[in-house]
Amino acid sequence: MSRKYLLLILFCGILLAVPSIVRDTFYLRIVTEAFMWIGLAISWDVLAGYTGYLNFGHGIFFGVGAYTTSILMNLCGWSFFMTLPVSALVAAVVAVIAGIPTLRLKGAYFAIATWALARAIQQMVLVASFTGGPDGMRLPPFLHPGFFYYTMLIVVGGVFALNWFLLEKAPFGLKVKAIREDDQSAMSLGLNPTKIKLQAFLLSAVPAGILGAIYAYWITYIDPASVLGDMVTDQAVVMAVFGGLGTLIGPAIGAVIIFLFKTYFWAYLSDYQVLYLIILGGVIAASVVFLPNGLWGTITSYRQSDKALKHEPVSSRSDDKGDPHV
Amino acid sequence: MSEPFLQVNAVTKTFGGLHAVFQVSFQMNAGEIIGLIGPNGAGKTTLFNVISGFYAPNSGKILFKNLDISGKPPYKLARLGIGRTFQVVKPFAGLTVLENVVIASFVKYPQRRKAEKHAWQILEMTGLVDRANVQASSLTLAGRKRLEVSKALALEPTLLLLDEVVAGLNPTEADRTIELILSLRSQGITILIVEHIMRVIMNISDRVVVLNFGQKIAEGSPRDVAKNPEVIQAYLGEAPQ
Repeated sequence: MSRKYLLLILFCGILLAVPSIVRDTFYLRIVTEAFMWIGLAISWDVLAGYTGYLNFGHGIFFGVGAYTTSILMNLCGWSFFMTLPVSALVAAVVAVIAGIPTLRLKGAYFAIATWALARAIQQMVLVASFTGGPDGMRLPPFLHPGFFYYTMLIVVGGVFALNWFLLEKAPFGLKVKAIREDDQSAMSLGLNPTKIKLQAFLLSAVPAGILGAIYAYWITYIDPASVLGDMVTDQAVVMAVFGGLGTLIGPAIGAVIIFLFKTYFWAYLSDYQVLYLIILGGVIAASVVFLPNGLWGTITSYRQSDKALKHEPVSSRSDDKGDPHV
Repeated sequence: MSEPFLQVNAVTKTFGGLHAVFQVSFQMNAGEIIGLIGPNGAGKTTLFNVISGFYAPNSGKILFKNLDISGKPPYKLARLGIGRTFQVVKPFAGLTVLENVVIASFVKYPQRRKAEKHAWQILEMTGLVDRANVQASSLTLAGRKRLEVSKALALEPTLLLLDEVVAGLNPTEADRTIELILSLRSQGITILIVEHIMRVIMNISDRVVVLNFGQKIAEGSPRDVAKNPEVIQAYLGEAPQ
């Protein structure tokens, strides 16, 4: 146990020391963005993996957070840190408004509804004038890679710790899993599914809003496609699915691997950019077929099958989930 | 104490034009075991779903300890002390047996540690202790039925609705479940049980309510009900002339 804590402290120490070791801002940027994707993947997984709701509009919260910060800094002249709580709040409000009607849906219907909502919000931002429409918004540049590294590290680390506590330690985690496994049975055991699903939705949306806010200030330019387009959601989905749904560490590993692959490809193989999406698609298809529980899920089930002779075949789990009792 | 524990007053539940349950009334006193029987499609499970809050009745009232509970959502009834099992068992398949019961324990024990301790006690009582750490999906049918009962019991209910917890079990398993039900009664839990196996109903019920085509056709002691010509007719059809 104490060895575990020592390793954790060592790991945190290394993370804190990164900006003083990595002098090259190019690499520091990569690490910073990797953190951001870890945050997006684990926050998406709160709803998808733990609660069983595939949200294809996760980018909504990222984009809403980014736009809130941009508008407040540009039009109202607020300082960055003052805008963060507002971005979180706006993401929460959007989550409640979007969640109340959509969380009644299940399975593919929820996925379609959230995806459609994301497209609708992207269109609204595109035609509005205070958002700059298709031209996007420029923010006052603040060129300090270390600042963004630490901000990202603190936020993502905090989200990771909060999710670990709420989902793995506190009763809340078991409650959302109960809803995922069988909401009727959960209801007969005193759980209010609507309330718990909404809480999970908030736990998923608010971090995405904060990450969007940081992203906007960091990149200093946002437009509807870059922060509200499909790519934000899709990449988080792909990372979480590849890493392993329903775990904390899985989506984080998936985020690092896929983000590094993408960055490497774009930096060194830019002549072959067309191939990137093709390869990514192939990897996803292969991981769904061969690693239905994701990278981390496969590793842990191997470990368990070593311990116990009998372990549940992965395919029976996915059969259960596919059961359309919608 | 003269107040009935549960009062079902002229409850009707309609699906489309079909009366699944029509004008059904009966009462339960505290500590009783009442058997609810009837041929397939008689409306037993529908009545269960109405009492446990999954359906709101179209008309009629349900009073639990003199409190009108008709149409209240299931999770509120669970907190009031009404536990139920499902005929088609609904384990949280991907979680362990212990976790399944811990979830139900949160109603009375919001803290994880206390809920876990309580869950162990429940599993001790229902005989699932040695399966506590396996996935619920790997239980046998008998185990899953036991888990259903364990989850309902973890609510510390005063009223327990059991929907076919014996059907599908072999005689030894059935006997163990019957023993369990009787021990629950001795703890003062009032039980409404739906069952097809007459041996069970006749042995453990204080009174029996018989439904046919959604209506109550008989009520009384198991012995009287078994002799009732209308009940025999409902089960076996009309005698040839």
